[in-house]
Amino acid sequence: MRPFRRKGDVLVAKLVAAEVGILSLLLDQLEQLLAADPDDTGGDPVVERLLPPGHVGDPEMAADYRDLTEAGLRSGKADDLAMVRATLPFEGGEVRLDADQARAWLRTTNDLRLALGTRLGITADTEPPDDPSGEEGSQLAVYYWLTAVQGSLIDALVAGRGGRR
Amino acid sequence: MAGPLAPVWTPETVSREESDLDRPWVTVVWDDPVNLMTYVTFVLQELFGYDEATATKLMLQVHHEGRAVVSSGPRERMEHDTSRLHAYGLWATYQKDA
Repeated sequence: MRPFRRKGDVLVAKLVAAEVGILSLLLDQLEQLLAADPDDTGGDPVVERLLPPGHVGDPEMAADYRDLTEAGLRSGKADDLAMVRATLPFEGGEVRLDADQARAWLRTTNDLRLALGTRLGITADTEPPDDPSGEEGSQLAVYYWLTAVQGSLIDALVAGRGGRR
Repeated sequence: MAGPLAPVWTPETVSREESDLDRPWVTVVWDDPVNLMTYVTFVLQELFGYDEATATKLMLQVHHEGRAVVSSGPRERMEHDTSRLHAYGLWATYQKDA
Protein backbone atom coordinates (compact mmCIF):
# COMPACT_ATOMS: atom_id res chain seq x y z
CA MET A 1 0.00 0.00 0.00
CA ARG A 2 1.10 3.50 -0.79
CA PRO A 3 -0.83 5.71 1.64
CA PHE A 4 -3.27 8.39 0.52
CA ARG A 5 -1.80 11.69 -0.61
CA ARG A 6 -3.47 14.75 -2.05
CA LYS A 7 -2.82 15.53 -5.70
CA GLY A 8 -4.70 18.70 -6.53
CA ASP A 9 -8.37 17.97 -5.98
CA VAL A 10 -8.05 14.21 -5.71
CA LEU A 11 -6.73 11.85 -3.06
CA VAL A 12 -4.57 9.08 -4.41
CA ALA A 13 -3.31 5.82 -2.92
CA LYS A 14 -1.99 2.63 -4.40
CA LEU A 15 -3.14 -0.86 -3.41
CA VAL A 16 -1.80 -4.21 -4.54
CA ALA A 17 -4.24 -6.85 -5.78
CA ALA A 18 -4.06 -8.86 -2.54
CA GLU A 19 -5.08 -5.79 -0.53
CA VAL A 20 -7.98 -5.10 -2.88
CA GLY A 21 -9.00 -8.75 -2.45
CA ILE A 22 -9.05 -8.49 1.34
CA LEU A 23 -10.96 -5.20 1.23
CA SER A 24 -13.54 -6.65 -1.20
CA LEU A 25 -14.09 -9.61 1.06
CA LEU A 26 -14.62 -7.34 4.08
CA LEU A 27 -17.02 -5.15 2.07
CA ASP A 28 -19.06 -8.23 1.12
CA GLN A 29 -19.27 -9.30 4.76
CA LEU A 30 -20.25 -5.83 5.94
CA GLU A 31 -22.88 -5.62 3.20
CA GLN A 32 -24.40 -8.94 4.26
CA LEU A 33 -24.46 -7.89 7.89
CA LEU A 34 -26.20 -4.59 7.08
CA ALA A 35 -28.68 -6.19 4.68
CA ALA A 36 -29.60 -9.00 7.09
CA ASP A 37 -33.03 -9.08 8.72
CA PRO A 38 -32.67 -7.18 12.03
CA ASP A 39 -34.46 -10.10 13.72
CA ASP A 40 -31.60 -12.40 12.70
CA THR A 41 -28.81 -10.09 13.85
CA GLY A 42 -30.47 -8.88 17.07
CA GLY A 43 -27.95 -8.77 19.87
CA ASP A 44 -24.95 -9.13 17.51
CA PRO A 45 -22.37 -6.82 19.11
CA VAL A 46 -21.07 -5.67 15.72
CA VAL A 47 -24.54 -4.61 14.53
CA GLU A 48 -25.09 -2.98 17.94
CA ARG A 49 -21.90 -0.98 17.47
CA LEU A 50 -22.66 0.04 13.87
CA LEU A 51 -26.24 1.03 14.74
CA PRO A 52 -26.01 1.96 18.41
CA PRO A 53 -28.88 3.19 20.59
CA GLY A 54 -29.37 6.94 20.31
CA HIS A 55 -30.66 7.28 23.84
CA VAL A 56 -29.86 5.41 27.03
CA GLY A 57 -32.21 5.06 29.97
CA ASP A 58 -35.60 5.52 28.32
CA PRO A 59 -36.49 2.46 26.19
CA GLU A 60 -39.39 4.24 24.52
CA MET A 61 -37.20 7.11 23.37
CA ALA A 62 -34.52 4.67 22.21
CA ALA A 63 -37.16 2.81 20.16
CA ASP A 64 -38.40 6.10 18.68
CA TYR A 65 -34.87 6.97 17.65
CA ARG A 66 -34.41 3.59 15.99
CA ASP A 67 -37.69 3.90 14.08
CA LEU A 68 -36.73 7.37 12.95
CA THR A 69 -33.13 6.76 11.88
CA GLU A 70 -32.23 3.10 11.38
CA ALA A 71 -33.45 2.67 7.79
CA GLY A 72 -31.64 5.83 6.71
CA LEU A 73 -28.43 4.83 8.47
CA ARG A 74 -28.50 1.37 6.90
CA SER A 75 -29.07 2.73 3.39
CA GLY A 76 -26.41 5.42 3.86
CA LYS A 77 -23.89 2.76 4.84
CA ALA A 78 -24.91 0.61 1.86
CA ASP A 79 -24.47 3.59 -0.51
CA ASP A 80 -21.02 4.34 0.95
CA LEU A 81 -20.03 0.72 0.57
CA ALA A 82 -21.11 0.63 -3.08
CA MET A 83 -19.18 3.83 -3.75
CA VAL A 84 -16.02 2.38 -2.19
CA ARG A 85 -16.39 -0.82 -4.20
CA ALA A 86 -16.74 1.19 -7.43
CA THR A 87 -13.36 2.88 -6.82
CA LEU A 88 -11.37 -0.34 -6.27
CA PRO A 89 -8.80 -1.37 -8.87
CA PHE A 90 -9.37 -5.12 -8.87
CA GLU A 91 -6.02 -5.94 -10.46
CA GLY A 92 -4.31 -3.62 -7.99
CA GLY A 93 -3.24 -0.05 -8.77
CA GLU A 94 -4.26 3.50 -8.02
CA VAL A 95 -7.30 4.50 -6.00
CA ARG A 96 -8.36 8.05 -6.95
CA LEU A 97 -11.01 9.76 -4.85
CA ASP A 98 -12.93 13.01 -5.14
CA ALA A 99 -14.31 14.70 -1.99
CA ASP A 100 -17.54 12.65 -1.84
CA GLN A 101 -15.77 9.37 -2.51
CA ALA A 102 -13.21 10.23 0.18
CA ARG A 103 -16.02 10.66 2.74
CA ALA A 104 -17.54 7.34 1.72
CA TRP A 105 -14.11 5.73 2.20
CA LEU A 106 -13.70 7.36 5.62
CA ARG A 107 -17.07 6.12 6.86
CA THR A 108 -16.74 2.65 5.38
CA THR A 109 -13.18 2.00 6.55
CA ASN A 110 -14.34 3.21 9.96
CA ASP A 111 -17.28 0.78 9.93
CA LEU A 112 -14.92 -2.04 8.98
CA ARG A 113 -12.56 -1.09 11.82
CA LEU A 114 -15.50 -0.91 14.25
CA ALA A 115 -16.72 -4.32 13.09
CA LEU A 116 -13.28 -5.98 13.29
CA GLY A 117 -12.41 -4.14 16.48
CA THR A 118 -15.60 -5.36 18.14
CA ARG A 119 -15.06 -8.97 16.99
CA LEU A 120 -11.43 -8.90 18.15
CA GLY A 121 -12.19 -7.15 21.44
CA ILE A 122 -9.85 -4.23 20.71
CA THR A 123 -9.12 -2.04 23.74
CA ALA A 124 -7.04 1.11 24.17
CA ASP A 125 -4.11 -1.15 25.13
CA THR A 126 -4.24 -3.46 22.10
CA GLU A 127 -1.04 -3.44 20.04
CA PRO A 128 -0.20 -4.65 16.53
CA PRO A 129 0.48 -8.41 16.45
CA ASP A 130 4.08 -9.65 16.82
CA ASP A 131 3.15 -12.62 14.70
CA PRO A 132 0.64 -11.83 11.94
CA SER A 133 0.17 -15.49 11.05
CA GLY A 134 -2.62 -17.51 12.59
CA GLU A 135 -6.26 -16.47 12.58
CA GLU A 136 -6.27 -13.82 15.28
CA GLY A 137 -2.86 -12.43 14.31
CA SER A 138 -3.88 -12.02 10.68
CA GLN A 139 -7.22 -10.38 11.56
CA LEU A 140 -5.41 -7.99 13.87
CA ALA A 141 -2.94 -7.25 11.07
CA VAL A 142 -5.88 -6.42 8.76
CA TYR A 143 -7.30 -4.13 11.45
CA TYR A 144 -4.02 -2.21 11.67
CA TRP A 145 -3.74 -2.11 7.89
CA LEU A 146 -7.22 -0.51 7.73
CA THR A 147 -6.11 1.92 10.45
CA ALA A 148 -3.14 2.96 8.30
CA VAL A 149 -5.33 3.38 5.20
CA GLN A 150 -7.95 5.44 7.04
CA GLY A 151 -5.32 7.43 8.95
CA SER A 152 -3.52 8.46 5.76
CA LEU A 153 -6.83 9.50 4.17
CA ILE A 154 -7.72 11.69 7.17
CA ASP A 155 -4.26 13.28 7.16
CA ALA A 156 -4.49 13.98 3.42
CA LEU A 157 -7.96 15.53 3.80
CA VAL A 158 -6.87 17.69 6.74
CA ALA A 159 -3.73 18.84 4.92
CA GLY A 160 -5.85 19.93 1.95
CA ARG A 161 -8.25 21.78 4.19
CA GLY A 162 -5.54 24.05 5.60
CA GLY A 163 -4.14 24.94 2.21
CA ARG A 164 -7.40 25.46 0.38
CA ARG A 165 -9.43 27.68 2.66
CA MET B 1 -44.81 41.71 45.51
CA ALA B 2 -48.26 43.25 44.97
CA GLY B 3 -50.08 45.12 42.25
CA PRO B 4 -51.53 44.36 38.83
CA LEU B 5 -48.34 42.79 37.50
CA ALA B 6 -47.72 40.49 40.46
CA PRO B 7 -47.56 36.87 39.44
CA VAL B 8 -50.74 34.98 40.18
CA TRP B 9 -48.72 31.86 40.93
CA THR B 10 -45.80 31.35 43.23
CA PRO B 11 -42.54 29.76 42.03
CA GLU B 12 -43.38 26.60 43.98
CA THR B 13 -46.39 25.94 41.77
CA VAL B 14 -44.42 26.03 38.51
CA SER B 15 -44.75 22.47 37.37
CA ARG B 16 -41.73 20.26 36.94
CA GLU B 17 -42.66 19.70 33.30
CA GLU B 18 -42.43 23.39 32.56
CA SER B 19 -38.96 23.74 34.00
CA ASP B 20 -37.90 20.56 32.17
CA LEU B 21 -38.98 22.13 28.90
CA ASP B 22 -36.60 25.01 29.45
CA ARG B 23 -33.66 22.71 29.86
CA PRO B 24 -32.01 22.07 26.51
CA TRP B 25 -31.13 18.69 25.11
CA VAL B 26 -27.55 17.75 24.42
CA THR B 27 -25.69 15.37 22.11
CA VAL B 28 -22.88 13.49 23.84
CA VAL B 29 -19.95 11.71 22.18
CA TRP B 30 -18.46 8.82 24.18
CA ASP B 31 -14.94 7.45 24.15
CA ASP B 32 -14.31 4.21 22.32
CA PRO B 33 -11.08 2.33 21.61
CA VAL B 34 -11.41 2.17 17.81
CA ASN B 35 -12.09 5.67 16.47
CA LEU B 36 -8.86 7.52 15.73
CA MET B 37 -8.30 10.83 17.49
CA THR B 38 -7.67 12.54 14.13
CA TYR B 39 -10.93 11.05 12.82
CA VAL B 40 -13.02 12.30 15.76
CA THR B 41 -11.58 15.80 15.33
CA PHE B 42 -12.22 15.70 11.58
CA VAL B 43 -15.84 14.55 12.01
CA LEU B 44 -16.62 17.22 14.64
CA GLN B 45 -15.31 19.90 12.26
CA GLU B 46 -17.13 18.41 9.30
CA LEU B 47 -20.54 18.04 10.99
CA PHE B 48 -20.65 21.04 13.31
CA GLY B 49 -18.35 23.50 11.61
CA TYR B 50 -16.07 23.81 14.64
CA ASP B 51 -12.64 25.29 14.06
CA GLU B 52 -9.73 22.95 14.56
CA ALA B 53 -8.91 24.19 18.08
CA THR B 54 -12.50 23.69 19.33
CA ALA B 55 -12.86 20.29 17.69
CA THR B 56 -9.50 19.17 19.11
CA LYS B 57 -10.48 20.33 22.60
CA LEU B 58 -13.75 18.36 22.45
CA MET B 59 -11.95 15.29 21.08
CA LEU B 60 -9.43 15.44 23.95
CA GLN B 61 -12.28 15.78 26.44
CA VAL B 62 -13.85 12.62 24.99
CA HIS B 63 -10.49 10.87 25.18
CA HIS B 64 -9.57 11.91 28.74
CA GLU B 65 -12.95 12.25 30.45
CA GLY B 66 -14.81 9.56 28.51
CA ARG B 67 -17.43 11.91 27.08
CA ALA B 68 -18.09 15.42 25.81
CA VAL B 69 -21.17 17.44 24.90
CA VAL B 70 -20.78 18.36 21.24
CA SER B 71 -24.07 20.15 20.57
CA SER B 72 -27.17 21.38 22.40
CA GLY B 73 -30.65 22.51 21.42
CA PRO B 74 -34.15 21.14 20.86
CA ARG B 75 -34.69 17.38 21.09
CA GLU B 76 -35.38 16.91 17.35
CA ARG B 77 -32.11 18.56 16.42
CA MET B 78 -30.19 16.44 18.92
CA GLU B 79 -31.76 13.30 17.44
CA HIS B 80 -30.61 14.49 14.05
CA ASP B 81 -27.08 15.31 15.29
CA THR B 82 -26.86 11.89 16.94
CA SER B 83 -27.81 10.14 13.70
CA ARG B 84 -25.26 12.18 11.74
CA LEU B 85 -22.58 11.09 14.22
CA HIS B 86 -23.78 7.48 13.95
CA ALA B 87 -23.43 7.70 10.16
CA TYR B 88 -19.73 8.42 10.79
CA GLY B 89 -19.45 5.64 13.36
CA LEU B 90 -18.95 7.83 16.42
CA TRP B 91 -20.53 6.55 19.62
CA ALA B 92 -23.13 9.22 20.42
CA THR B 93 -26.34 9.62 22.40
CA TYR B 94 -28.73 12.49 23.11
CA GLN B 95 -30.26 13.33 26.43
CA LYS B 96 -31.79 16.12 28.45
CA ASP B 97 -29.02 18.35 29.77
CA ALA B 98 -28.11 17.24 33.30
